[in-house]
Amino acid sequence: MITGYFLRQGLNRWIIASLVVILAIGILVPAANLLLPAGHPLHVPSYIVALFGKYLCYALLALSLDLVWGYVGILSLGHGAFFALGGYAMGMYLMRQIGTRGVYGDPTLPDFMVFLNWKELPWFWSGFDQFWFAAIMVMLAPGLLAFVFGWFAFRSRVTGVYLSIITQAMTYALMLAFFRNDMGFGGNNGLTDFKDILGYSIQSDQTRAALFLSSAVALALGVLLVGALGASRYGKLMVAVRDAEDRTRFLGYRPEFVKLFAFTASAVMAGIAGALYVPQVGIINPGEFAPANSIEIVIWTAVGGRGTIIGPIIGAILVNAGKSAFTGLFPEYWLFALGALFIAVTLFLPKGIVGTAMHGWDALQRLRAARRHEEGRHDGPAASQPEAAE
Amino acid sequence: MNHIARTFGFIALGAALTATSAMTPASAQEDTIKVGILHSLSGTMAISETTLKDAMLMLIEAQNEKGGLLGKKLEAVVVDPASDWPLFAEKARQLIEQDEVAAVFGCWTSVSRKSVLPVFSELNSILFYPVQYEGEESERNVFYTGAAPNQQAIPAVDYLMNEEGVERWVLEGTDYVYPRTTNKILEQYLLDKGVAAEDIIVNYTPFGFSDWQTEVARIKEFGSAGKKTAVVSTVNGDANVPFYKELANQGIKAEDIPVVAFSVGEEELAGIDTGPLVGHLAAWNYFQSVETEANASFIEEWHAFTGDEARVTNDPMEAHYIGFNMWIKAAEAAGTTDPDAVIAALPGIEVPNLTGGISKMLPNHHITKPVLIGEIQEDGQFEVVSETDDLVPGDAWSDFLPESKKLKSDWVDLKCGNYDTEAEKCIAETAMAEPATEAAKSN
Amino acid sequence: MNVIKRMTVTRSIAALFAVLAVLLSPSMATAQDSDVALRQAIAGLGAEKGYARLREAINVVAQTGDPRAARVLGALTEGDVYRRADDGAVVIVSGRGQQLTLHDPVTGEAIGTAPKSALDKVRVNNSVRRSVRAALGGLTLAAGDPDIRMTAARTLIATPDPDSLAAIEKAISDEEDDAVRDALENARAGAILFSGADPETRIAAIETIRNMGGQQALSLLARMPASPDQGVLQAAEDAAASVQKRLQYWGLGQNIWYGVSLGSVLLLAAIGLAITFGVMGVINMAHGEMVMLGAYTTFTVQEVMRTSFPGLLDWSLPIALPLAFLVAGSVGFALERGVIRFLYGRPLETLLATWGVSLVLQQSVRTLFGPSNREVSNPSFMSGAFQLGEISVTWNRLYIVVFALVVFAVLLYAINRTSLGLRMRAVTQNRRMAAAMGIRTPWVDALTFALGSGIAGIAGVALSQIDNVSPNLGQGYIIDSFMVVVFGGVGNLWGTLIAALSLGVANKFLEPFAGAVLGKILVLVFIILFIQRRPRGLFALKGRAVDA
Repeated sequence: MITGYFLRQGLNRWIIASLVVILAIGILVPAANLLLPAGHPLHVPSYIVALFGKYLCYALLALSLDLVWGYVGILSLGHGAFFALGGYAMGMYLMRQIGTRGVYGDPTLPDFMVFLNWKELPWFWSGFDQFWFAAIMVMLAPGLLAFVFGWFAFRSRVTGVYLSIITQAMTYALMLAFFRNDMGFGGNNGLTDFKDILGYSIQSDQTRAALFLSSAVALALGVLLVGALGASRYGKLMVAVRDAEDRTRFLGYRPEFVKLFAFTASAVMAGIAGALYVPQVGIINPGEFAPANSIEIVIWTAVGGRGTIIGPIIGAILVNAGKSAFTGLFPEYWLFALGALFIAVTLFLPKGIVGTAMHGWDALQRLRAARRHEEGRHDGPAASQPEAAE
Repeated sequence: MNHIARTFGFIALGAALTATSAMTPASAQEDTIKVGILHSLSGTMAISETTLKDAMLMLIEAQNEKGGLLGKKLEAVVVDPASDWPLFAEKARQLIEQDEVAAVFGCWTSVSRKSVLPVFSELNSILFYPVQYEGEESERNVFYTGAAPNQQAIPAVDYLMNEEGVERWVLEGTDYVYPRTTNKILEQYLLDKGVAAEDIIVNYTPFGFSDWQTEVARIKEFGSAGKKTAVVSTVNGDANVPFYKELANQGIKAEDIPVVAFSVGEEELAGIDTGPLVGHLAAWNYFQSVETEANASFIEEWHAFTGDEARVTNDPMEAHYIGFNMWIKAAEAAGTTDPDAVIAALPGIEVPNLTGGISKMLPNHHITKPVLIGEIQEDGQFEVVSETDDLVPGDAWSDFLPESKKLKSDWVDLKCGNYDTEAEKCIAETAMAEPATEAAKSN
Repeated sequence: MNVIKRMTVTRSIAALFAVLAVLLSPSMATAQDSDVALRQAIAGLGAEKGYARLREAINVVAQTGDPRAARVLGALTEGDVYRRADDGAVVIVSGRGQQLTLHDPVTGEAIGTAPKSALDKVRVNNSVRRSVRAALGGLTLAAGDPDIRMTAARTLIATPDPDSLAAIEKAISDEEDDAVRDALENARAGAILFSGADPETRIAAIETIRNMGGQQALSLLARMPASPDQGVLQAAEDAAASVQKRLQYWGLGQNIWYGVSLGSVLLLAAIGLAITFGVMGVINMAHGEMVMLGAYTTFTVQEVMRTSFPGLLDWSLPIALPLAFLVAGSVGFALERGVIRFLYGRPLETLLATWGVSLVLQQSVRTLFGPSNREVSNPSFMSGAFQLGEISVTWNRLYIVVFALVVFAVLLYAINRTSLGLRMRAVTQNRRMAAAMGIRTPWVDALTFALGSGIAGIAGVALSQIDNVSPNLGQGYIIDSFMVVVFGGVGNLWGTLIAALSLGVANKFLEPFAGAVLGKILVLVFIILFIQRRPRGLFALKGRAVDA
């Protein structure tokens, strides 16, 4: 009870602080890239902007997983699928924007369709020349998939590892499907060679800065949403479903709807993350559906701390920054470092980095409170043991 | 206990953070020219690409012993894109922007090349791409030292038709862009040669496919119709071992149904018991078994460098050998490693290849290569059974695909990678002029 | 071994030449004339450039009818015929290295040595090998070894030639082996189909071909020259239809067999996971790597055998089995003691830790053995195939099916009938109660995990026979394994068996219609839908603790 109270107090402060930090990064980093001259010590090179833009998208993705895993207890091993679907929707818009600038100069057909002798655009590509349509599809495609999938799965009370494994089956099946060239999504090569977005060149520093800012804003909104949900009555219900689904049901609630809502909302968030990711990295291909990618998302969240709001964000950024650094620094051995990190985190930081830090903070608070209490009463030396509170 | 665990945790975390903050590598000594090596060292493609990284390190070391380039030593910058395509783009950007490499040698799969293309054109750097590929591309910043389809697939089919009298064809491939395009080209080529449509079957399997029973049985059935049958295999890397094992076990002998592969080289054969495969074919531009002095010393150098007499050499390694020497020669000719100067100097550069000829960089950024057809031998090597008389110039745009027939690439005179010979204009240039109207329209 | 085989073949070919030369060519030249003619013909092998010319030269050599020609032709297919650079003489070469021993192409006597550089190899390709085979083919019908006669008869069936009728009939009357005689009868019928024989004879031949059945019969019937006779046409059509129908039934059987064989691979891959994940509840992402370790153990054993005990090469698999079990089992044991035991009660977190372990194991193997594929050869008893009706059953697949079932049976026995199995079940069903009964639960946990890992290791031995041995080996099986265990019902070994086999068969039935990729997608969708119907898999564990 007391822990919960402190946690809530802490959380609110944390949320506001992290919102400020995220937005500050969103503005300062592109500004340092655009406004400061290249030689300036605080100048941020475009390379770093692109890199951190990618991390922000990963952070939003990890946050979306945290919403279902940390709050509702659904371990999705298929969240990469929603991310990739959002990415594909954006990629299709970007492909249509290429217009006659493809290598064959065909005004409507993307290059990969031209050399496979396709004569006309498949029906599911229509509409993607409009940004608003693509923007809707970015949310609708993953949302709808999550809704339909969740509708069946939660109603038939598929839970625990069974649910995890069938989400994995889902993303695996989608990966195989998107690998097929006959599907009309570019097969293994996926969608690449993007030129511009909303009329602005995708390679210019300004566009990149705008995308960076958008990612930061999207992440901030995500934080706000998860924070608001977590603090609301609905959030309590979510946690109740996580901790004791049957008891919640016996109390008259419908856990399947709680789960369905969280799952769908989370999928939409993942889709938006994917949509922001694609223009920044310049490619979307079926590899994003790979089950290993989805597992990685889980790992970011766990490393950061599930069930917290900034945990997944920190986890995603930390793990990916580590990956970027290690693949350059020790290309032959970085997998050892990454593997060891995962093992170490699960063994020694079961609540993740943020969870453990909060726990430590919590203990400190209690220690102080106890000390004040003691001082007020006895005036003697405090002999409290923080560990005993557990 | 718990306490200790947590302490350990913080130490581990601290270590991770320190490592992350040390992202910028220790600045190397000045006065070196950096060369980027962008090959996957982990993940699914590590199987093929790690060798190329080693080959590049060897070439750079040898060049440094010869005195380096333009009076400076070369320095290799190795990164691991981990078979992750977006990571390829990120690493390419890092190599060019942060490490400021003069040129990059790398990529294997088409998708990895497609992923880094925008980075190379945006940051104006040079990529040498060493693997046989589907063509249909010619970029200003990329030099294709591997084979285009006309340097591999078509001579192989010619050989089977003329020497083996093959009349019935199975085009078996992994479902991705290289097999798709190659098979499209071959199908058209075969139809043009008068092969009946019912004598061709095309089949695709997924990556890493391992259960070939049904497919092999089907090939066997297709081949029992009395006409001489051959399989043209564009099956990718990992799926080959189970494919060949199944062929051998179902008793398909090369004398009856030969399989000609475009993605199986010495390196792939090293993982297979080649006894039952003797006589199956592969088409490449280089085989380790080619007997020339240049090749003998290359192999010797390779064995010395790796310290392993059993390591084989293969075609993409030779492509890097050619590409690297071309780059050196072009940089020396230009007197600088500045990308624009080197890109301008490269076309026309001639360097000896390992099969006894002189390969030339063409204006379309592809090179001339001999085409060799080899039969698999018991020792995992290839015996060359056919060789083109002259070097074949690489054709970026296939003449057997309707849309690319009219396209031409020439970076010297036309300064264009996709020149439309019918409309007599450069597609890339006309498109450049258009975005303004496009944007106006979408508003 | 190769040399011996070649010598027997060469000797028998030579004997045949003698017999058939007498039978078929009435005018035989004197020995001296033939010696000159043969030497001249053989010189042609070295003179000409291009395979077409070489094939002609081979025919010239064969047409001399001299039995001694078999020696040089045999050597040619082995790639042992060279042309001496200085005088252009054709020689047979033996030995390895730079200095080679030369032999006279006619007599086979050693005639000195020469460095490799002074010799040009006469290059052969498949078409040349075929020419040699054809030149020697008809002659092997009278070979002493029935297997060689059988092969010759099969070749005759595949390439019907009316001109060889006389030779076939002669061979039939001399034949003692029933199987070979049947084959020869079929060959004769095939030859008749392509000859200008009268309608009755041809109809009888069609009947024989119809009884032979198979794809080959169908192709013979389709290729036979059109006959003006209505009866022949009708008979051919009927025969083709009946052969077709039989083929369809066999096709069904073939799909089932392929499905069972795929299913047994799935079973092998999943069965270890059925212990670590199914029984213990550890989401063991490092399971695939245990399989990989088993495969690499096999590779190592085979390398040691190859270099140190070449005679025992065929025994490397049986030797690798216990070693693979030990290697993977002890890694599993260490993994349980070092990592997993801290995570009981937090099943989802085992996923993270074991994922990390799998990365480390993969990279270790990559560092140790290199990133490329490693060669594990099939031992001779697992190579090749035999014909069961119209299905060709490959030995390695058959062994794997049997092996998978044996492993399953042994595991079932271990769990249900041994004391360790009893403790395992006790601990997984009610840990506290088991502990209270005096069972050392941590020890049992470690052994159970080691058992699951060890089983995965021996699965790796089997999978090394059909798949790549590379650091990525495990990754390819991990998802399928989880699907199988979940589909069958977690914690139920029988469920795993049924799930593996039914998924295998379903996959193979879908493949011919939907293609390999779509087939697999459909199977996955089916699993997803199935889990909706039965949220705990095919065979759910019953009990009150299910919702724990």
